[in-house]
Amino acid sequence: MNLYNDYKDRADFLTVYIREAHPLDEWQMKSNVDQGVCYAQPHSTEQRVAIANDFIQRFHFPLPFAVDDMHDIADHAYSAWPERIYIIDEQGKIVYRGGIGPFNYHPAEARAWLEKRFNVTPTPTTSAANGHPTNAAN
Amino acid sequence: MRWWKWTAIILIAVLACGYGALSYMMGGPRDVYGFLRYALPQWRDGKLKVGDTAPNVRLLALDGQTTFHLSDRIGQRPLVLVFGSYT
Repeated sequence: MNLYNDYKDRADFLTVYIREAHPLDEWQMKSNVDQGVCYAQPHSTEQRVAIANDFIQRFHFPLPFAVDDMHDIADHAYSAWPERIYIIDEQGKIVYRGGIGPFNYHPAEARAWLEKRFNVTPTPTTSAANGHPTNAAN
Repeated sequence: MRWWKWTAIILIAVLACGYGALSYMMGGPRDVYGFLRYALPQWRDGKLKVGDTAPNVRLLALDGQTTFHLSDRIGQRPLVLVFGSYT
């Protein structure tokens, strides 16, 4: 969310909610149980949209938001699962292609691209929000 | 004991040690299973690269009804595209 706050006046943002990474009926993580984030993998558009809305409400997530369809078209097109960042320029070309999360998911790289593009380093903001995909905001 | 029995024993021992080491590193045997069963098959680096045209996928708005294309959000300023899920 910090990245969004720092650059929302210069760049557009879009978060795309994709297939769950750790649903309770697949590979559920203990951390999700501890945080009370327990969802089965959605099997309908309604279920997927409902989880996306839960996420937004819990974190008061300010970024523009979209949902991938049940065929996972966006996920497959961008090889996005479980988390990933791209930057697309005004001509529709990919100018930054982040690594696959969680190990190669580095929002700082996207920040560096924006800093270079705009030749400015905003005063970093802080945020208490913590969770996927709010990490993108770091 | 025939050679193939020793081979099988050694192979099983190596696999067991590997699974044990992964369990230690990942937090438990259940996490290793989850990683192998669910994460590994879905991890794809993909063929997109810097300079490629961004795939113009169709997306769903939060009302669950409205659809739009990614190109609708491209053109005025750079677009930071963030993929993720809740869990």
